[in-house]
Amino acid sequence: MSAVIQFRHVDKSYLRRNSSTPETVLKHFSLEVARGELVAVVGPSGIGKTTLLHLAAGLEAPDAGTVTLGAGTRPSRLGMVFQQPRLFEWRSVGQNIDLAADAAGVDPALGRKLLAEVELGNYADAFPLSLSGGQRQRVALARAFAVDPDVILLDEPFSALDELTARRLRALLQRLWANASPTGLLVTHNTLEAAFLADRVIVLGGPPVRIERIIEIDRPRPRATEDSYFFDVHREILGTLEAAA
Amino acid sequence: MSVLTHSETKLQPRAAAVPRPWLRDTLIATLPPLLFCVLLAIGWEAMARYRSSPLLPGLTDIWLELKDIAVSGDAVTQIGITLQRIFLGFIVAYAIAIAIGLASARSRIAKTFFEPALVLGLTVPGLVWALLCVIWFGLSLQASVFAIALGIAPALALSITQGLSAVDAQLIEAAHVFRLSRRAMLRHLWLPAIMPYLLSGARLGFSLAWKVVVLVEIFGLSSGVGYRLNSAFSSQNVAAMLAWTLAFTMMMAFIEYGIMQSIERRVTRWKRVARV
Repeated sequence: MSAVIQFRHVDKSYLRRNSSTPETVLKHFSLEVARGELVAVVGPSGIGKTTLLHLAAGLEAPDAGTVTLGAGTRPSRLGMVFQQPRLFEWRSVGQNIDLAADAAGVDPALGRKLLAEVELGNYADAFPLSLSGGQRQRVALARAFAVDPDVILLDEPFSALDELTARRLRALLQRLWANASPTGLLVTHNTLEAAFLADRVIVLGGPPVRIERIIEIDRPRPRATEDSYFFDVHREILGTLEAAA
Repeated sequence: MSVLTHSETKLQPRAAAVPRPWLRDTLIATLPPLLFCVLLAIGWEAMARYRSSPLLPGLTDIWLELKDIAVSGDAVTQIGITLQRIFLGFIVAYAIAIAIGLASARSRIAKTFFEPALVLGLTVPGLVWALLCVIWFGLSLQASVFAIALGIAPALALSITQGLSAVDAQLIEAAHVFRLSRRAMLRHLWLPAIMPYLLSGARLGFSLAWKVVVLVEIFGLSSGVGYRLNSAFSSQNVAAMLAWTLAFTMMMAFIEYGIMQSIERRVTRWKRVARV
């Protein structure tokens, strides 16, 4: 299978404030995500997981090496879900989705359909501030899929929500993913979430970032949250993280 | 020892909601300012009767002057001329302020470059701009337009710079990820984000502009509210001076409450929605 997200020998370092020596976050880092695959990246805080997403989104450039999405340097269509919904609060829910779809050249009808799928079909004219946190994150999910994405990047998308809401949204993401089947990279602190959502979990250590372990998730979709297999994987990931610390 | 029963606890719901809360809000919003105006009028009238001097005219004299300039149509004509000058000055000031604001928000060099200009502009009194512009441009429309522009552009530029710097970096990131065009970003991100700053800048600018334009009209023009104020001053007609001031104040109040506040309500309606 061809790789849609590709990091090849990537170096990235930052110059911290009040420091003259750059801090290396990535050193010869390589990773490939195959078409239709959802790869979860877990690791300790501040290790550089978000840097991976920023590089993939084109928000930052690598110091050396290449980051490739799709055929060119950027995918033809990219969707992203952030930790916070990041909606334009002065635009209605429908307008927020239409803006993304319009920029991607996608029929706005897809956005309306997705809004109904995330159970907010009646909220197209509502302003984001009138919605709860969970509802706003649903809109963010609908927006990411409304661009008919080749690649979706997920930056701790459910970490700001209570567990019950997060659980519902994970199930929703699973349904949306099954319909659109994009290629995805998920960064999360939640190891159980990683096991439940991903096809492959990459456990990172460092700094600089290194791959400690790759765990293939051997479960077909749709998946059940209560499946004890995910708890076993969750323990396995935690064990690896503890051993690497 | 006292025992709290359920009926006594603070957790029970309030017995009855406040009746007609909108009526209470309206009364709170209108009664105190109305009371202030009534007390001011009573105080003024008492003072005028006590002094009994043409230099301190009573309410009836002021009212007659006001009626006179309103009925003759002079008030509308002169206020219209003054407002036109303010409006033109505003356009020039906004153009300058947006250019400086954009440059300052995007570049630290530009920000430090324009800093002395803003400090200078904010400290120079409107009177100085009025005098200089009358000298430079003579008895012309340009004198008032440039005096207003120079007088209010620094405050507007500062407001716009602050607004642009306050735009959420996370939203800018999201806009880049979803590849919004420059035009879409301007229309749906930058402009709505800085709108409150543009409005507060416009309010402040409007009150400053009025003070500057009156000075220019007094010193070097033969029309407008300032010119009429100067004529009244020359003939020691205090009632006419107050009538012109009142007429223009009423127009300013209409612009503030009738136009500015309704624009503000419209562009910030997304903030006034109930959270779930």
